[in-house]
Amino acid sequence: MIEVSGVRKTFGAVVAVDDVSFQAPNGRITGLLGPNGAGKTTALRVLSGMLVPDAGTARIDEVDVVADPNAGRARLGLLPDARGLYPRLTARENIRYFGELYGMTGARLHDRVAHLIDLLELGPVADRAATGFSQGERMKVAIARALVHDPPNVVLDEPTNGLDVMSIRALRTFLARLRDEGRCVLFSSHVMQEVSALCDEIVIISSGRVVASGTEAALREATGAATMEDVFVAVATS
Amino acid sequence: MSPWWTVCRKELVDALRDRRALASMLLFPLVGPLLIAVTLNITTEQLGQNREVELPVVGEPHAPALMAFLVAQGVTIVPPPEDPLDAVRRGEVPLVLVVPDDYAERFRDGMPNTLQLIVDPSRTSGAGDRTRVRRLLEAYGKRLGLLRLAARGVDPRLGTPVVVQTVDVSTAAKRAAIFLNLLPMFVLLAAFIGGMYLATDATAGERERGSLEPLLLVPVSRTAIVLGKWLAATAFSAATVVLTLGLTLLALSTVPLEDIGLSFSIGVADVVGILVAVVPLSLAAPAAQVLIALFARSFKEAQTYLSLMVFVPTLPGVLFGIRPLEAQPWMYPVPVLGQQALLTDTIRGEPVPGYGYALAALGATALALILVAVAARMLRSERIVMGR
Repeated sequence: MIEVSGVRKTFGAVVAVDDVSFQAPNGRITGLLGPNGAGKTTALRVLSGMLVPDAGTARIDEVDVVADPNAGRARLGLLPDARGLYPRLTARENIRYFGELYGMTGARLHDRVAHLIDLLELGPVADRAATGFSQGERMKVAIARALVHDPPNVVLDEPTNGLDVMSIRALRTFLARLRDEGRCVLFSSHVMQEVSALCDEIVIISSGRVVASGTEAALREATGAATMEDVFVAVATS
Repeated sequence: MSPWWTVCRKELVDALRDRRALASMLLFPLVGPLLIAVTLNITTEQLGQNREVELPVVGEPHAPALMAFLVAQGVTIVPPPEDPLDAVRRGEVPLVLVVPDDYAERFRDGMPNTLQLIVDPSRTSGAGDRTRVRRLLEAYGKRLGLLRLAARGVDPRLGTPVVVQTVDVSTAAKRAAIFLNLLPMFVLLAAFIGGMYLATDATAGERERGSLEPLLLVPVSRTAIVLGKWLAATAFSAATVVLTLGLTLLALSTVPLEDIGLSFSIGVADVVGILVAVVPLSLAAPAAQVLIALFARSFKEAQTYLSLMVFVPTLPGVLFGIRPLEAQPWMYPVPVLGQQALLTDTIRGEPVPGYGYALAALGATALALILVAVAARMLRSERIVMGR
C-alpha cells in the first residue's frame, strides 16, 4: 500500500512536482501516466526517500519515508530511472550483492536469487559478465535486483523503455503475477497503450499535478472519450 | 555480514577483474625499481674508478715511457682500429689515443707534444673511461713538467702555485641517500596511485554507470557504503605500497653500491618503521580520492582532478631535493611531509625517533577519518547523488 499526499518538490526556480496525491492499493497495478517532464520520476524519488519533498508526505505500508527512509525502503522494491549494472560482475553476482545489502544470507539468499533468475528466465546468461547484456537482459537483472528482498510494494519507473515487444510482453506477465500475489504494484509510463493494457488503476499526471485518476472505464466515462489517448488529451488540456 | 564489508568485498572483486585497476596496482611497483636499478647501475659504471681501462693507441712505440706510466695506472694498451675516427664515431671503441710520429724527437728537445684523444662525448657510455684517461695524461704531463724544472735546478713547488683539496664531509651513507632520494618518492606515489582507479570507479564511475541510485535505495547507511568503498581502495593502495617498497629494496640489493663507496643498509626495524608511517597514508590518499571523485561531475572530471593530485606526494621530495631540510618534529604529523621526512632519514641511516613514526601514522589516519566523514555527508546530498 502506497500513499502519496500533497507532495511538492522544487529544484531552485523549477517546480518539478507541484501537488501530487495518489494511492496505490495492494493487489492492484496502478499506472502513473504522464508526458515526459510531468514529474513522475521526481514523485517516485520522493517515494523512495532519495529526494526530500518541500511539502507533503509519502507512506509505504504506513511508514513515513520522509521521516524514516530506510524503514520504508525495506518494504519497497524500486526499479529506478537509473538502472546500471556492474559490468564485470555476472547477472547472479549483481543480484546477490543487493541481496547481501538487504541483510540476506545463506540458503535464503541463494534460493531467492535462483528463484528470481528462474522467474525472469535469466538462466542462460546468469553466470555471464553483465558487460555484453542486451537491453532486455539488463532490465531483467535490474528488476531481479530490485525485488531480491521480496518486497510487498513494487515500484517501476518507465520499465518498458528501450524494450522490444517480446520483452514487454514478458514484463506484463511478470507484473500481473506480482499483483496476483497480493502486492502493491505501481509503475510509471508515458505510453498510453502500456498503461491501458496493464493497469487496474490509472493516475494521470501533468505539469506536476494529478489531473485525473480512477479505472480506465471510469476515466473514459467521465470524459466521454473512446480511448486512453483521448482521455489523456481531454484531462491534460482542460 | 556488515554492510560495509559487503560493499568492500564487492568493490575488491570488481576491481580485481578490472585490467585498469589491476595495472595501477601491479605495474607501478615495477616502474620504480627498474628506474632506480637502471639509474644506479649507470652511475656505478660511470664512477667506476678502479676498473680496467682498455686504451687503443696509435703510434704506441714512439712513447715507451708514457705507455709504461699508463700500464702502471691500470690501463691496458691495445692495438688501434683501422680507422680510429670512424671507430669512435660508430661507438666501437670509446676513445683512441694518437701519439704523433715526432713525439720522441720533440720530447728530447723539451718541446711541447700534442697527444690527440679521439672521443665522442655525445655518447654517455665510456664517459668514465674518457675522464680517467684524460686525468692520467694530465697527471703525466704535470709530473714531466715538474721533473724538467727540477732538472734545471728550479724548485718544483714553483710549478704548483695552488693546491685544491676537497674535504668531503658527507658519509658514504649520505652520498648514497642522494641516489636513494627516489625511493621515498616512489613509496609515497604508490600510496596515491594504487587505489586511485578503484576510488574513481566506485564513486564517479558508479554514478556514471547509473548504479549509484539503485545502490542508495538499499536500506543501508551511506556511511557504511562510503566506508566499504574507501577500505577497498585502501587495500589496493596499501598493497601497492608494500609491493613498491619490497621490490625497490630487492632491486637495490642487486646494485653494486659498495663499488662506488656507498654504503646502504636497511634493517627489518627500518622497514617496519616505514610501513607504520606510510600505510596510514594509504588510508588518507584513497579517502581524499573518494571525496574528490564524488564531488566531480563525471568519471573524466574525477580522473583529471586525481591525476593532478598525484603531484602532491612528489612536492616534499622536490623541496627536500632543492633545499635539503632537516626533519623537524612538527613535520611528522603532517601527511605526506611527515612520511617523506621519516623515509629520507631512515634511508640516510640517521636516527629517527620512534614517536616520529607514531605521529606520522596518527596524522594520516586522522585526516583519513575526517575525509571519509565528509564524503559520507556528501553522499546524503541530493545534488551529489543525482550528479547535479
